[in-house]
Amino acid sequence: MAVVDTMLSGQLLFAALVTGSIYALVALGLNLVYGTLRMLNVAHGDVVMLGAYAGYWAFSALGISPLVAAPVIALAGALAGWLVYRIAVRRMLAQGTAAHRLEGNSLLLFFGLSIIVQNATALAFTPNNRGYTYLEHVLHLGNVSMTTNRLVALAIAGGACVVMAVFLGRSLAGLTMRAVIERREAAFIVGVDVERVQALAFAVGFGSAALAGVLLSMLEQFSPFSGFPYTIAAFIVIILGGLGNVAAGLGAALLLGVLETYGVALTSANVRSVLLYGVFVAALLLFPRGLFAGRAARA
Amino acid sequence: MTQRGLRVWGVTLVTLALGLALLPLVANAYLLATALGLLMWLALTQSWCVFSRMTGYVSLGHVVFYGLGAYVVVVTWQQWPLPLAVLAGGAVAAVFAALIGGPVLRVRGPYFVILTFGVAELVRYAILAGEAASGTASRILFGAPDLILIYAAMYALALAATVLLLAVSRSRFGHGLRSLRENEEAAETLGVPVVRYKLAAFVLSAAIPGMVGGVMALRSTYFVVGQVFDPMISVTIIAMALLGGGDDTRGPVLGTVFLFVVEELLWANAPLAYMIILGGILAGFVLLAPNGLVGMIDARRRGVGADAAMASTAPGTAPAVASLGSAPTQEPT
Repeated sequence: MAVVDTMLSGQLLFAALVTGSIYALVALGLNLVYGTLRMLNVAHGDVVMLGAYAGYWAFSALGISPLVAAPVIALAGALAGWLVYRIAVRRMLAQGTAAHRLEGNSLLLFFGLSIIVQNATALAFTPNNRGYTYLEHVLHLGNVSMTTNRLVALAIAGGACVVMAVFLGRSLAGLTMRAVIERREAAFIVGVDVERVQALAFAVGFGSAALAGVLLSMLEQFSPFSGFPYTIAAFIVIILGGLGNVAAGLGAALLLGVLETYGVALTSANVRSVLLYGVFVAALLLFPRGLFAGRAARA
Repeated sequence: MTQRGLRVWGVTLVTLALGLALLPLVANAYLLATALGLLMWLALTQSWCVFSRMTGYVSLGHVVFYGLGAYVVVVTWQQWPLPLAVLAGGAVAAVFAALIGGPVLRVRGPYFVILTFGVAELVRYAILAGEAASGTASRILFGAPDLILIYAAMYALALAATVLLLAVSRSRFGHGLRSLRENEEAAETLGVPVVRYKLAAFVLSAAIPGMVGGVMALRSTYFVVGQVFDPMISVTIIAMALLGGGDDTRGPVLGTVFLFVVEELLWANAPLAYMIILGGILAGFVLLAPNGLVGMIDARRRGVGADAAMASTAPGTAPAVASLGSAPTQEPT
């Protein structure tokens, strides 16, 4: 039974874990931005793509190990997120009447921004695929062989998720953020500085996306147009896992990783996008009220 | 629109229609092919408006109908007579809209936008995977009809889309669609059959793009599946409608002509720059001028000035985009 052997091999499970952990990290960042602002930022995946370029250039132009560059790039991403919020988003929200109208149209707005970012990147760095090899050393653990870079990426992505979970569950700033996600008006009334929380959410969201991008650049080739599938994957994770729910999001991300990895292994690489968009459409149809379905049922 | 404005616009529209009709008598092949592109976008954008502008449900996946129509024509190539194949393309697109309409139209606001995009991408990748599995990545089409015939067919489709939009816009059905755009719950309470109306508008707006795709498939002698399902077609349609704005016949025509000129100037030489401009139009008009060019023109005529036009969202003239905000989104109550 070759198929069963394939299914049960640790090899596939390991690959699914790596994919799932990166999805979880990307989704967690989008979750915070979406949760605090209620705007679907479809350009989130493009931050991942820009992080991948930063990691690529640090390694191939400056010779800096991506592991050293990762924290710097994550911080730069966080700073960028904070600036984007302070300069653009806050002004947009302050337009009073525009705010209500924007909620419906925010998707087109971000979609436009996403097209700009992708094509400006292609203009600057050519639309070609890029990649580099780093830590290609193969480790054997039982009958599972894994390359070091995948193991490192899994550890960093998983670690970052745990750090964010602890931040959201234990620290005052994290609890405040969850309060804003759950009941924005109520949080405002009890004295939460919603503005600051939203700026922080943007910073953490962009920072974690940039970090995921660096990890991605270590693992596979990417192009200016590689970001969008990550946006879709992150949406799936948020729809299935719920807003602000780290544990359920982690579970959903791993499930998606398993589904994608095993689906491709059992059929062919062409099926990867079919699976991704299929799960996405199915998730939205199952929860037509979007991301609040679970919450509404509970209330 | 004022009486004078209406007359000016009427004359412009008739001149455009006559000019495009008489063009084959004088134009060379290159000019005719360019005008064919303009007709294609006119047909697509106005069809999109029949559903998305009337109801406020913004479809970011209209390329799926175009692609299905094209695919039907290519698959039945030299087995079915062409007119039949093109009509079948439109029928397949309409049936597909009717099938997915039930579940898809329950989703609202930004979720609907991203869902339509997802559906279009799903169909594209599913057909690509199917083609890869059967080993037909691309096809060469021999014996396509004359450019002039294709032009005539596309002219008919653009005209049909214009008439359809005008007819729907003025009908009782159209008023029902507008009412559900402003407030779906209120419209339903007042007896508008919202579910049936939405589905009907969705199907109506899918048929012509299906036939347009079928006709355009005849233009390329080399057929690649990925191309006819290119999501940028959906984006261009929205950008054209958004650019035009308004709630009458002017918006889609103005927006289409304007963006088409930009595309012709830039696409061949600077495709990436064109894409950046396209993204800029999408983001900029949503943010700054949700009433589009028509809103600006009207505001100027009223003597309010263009700046006020950018800020104004008069509910009476609520156009495609200003109304999107009223397609209710879920508040965590």
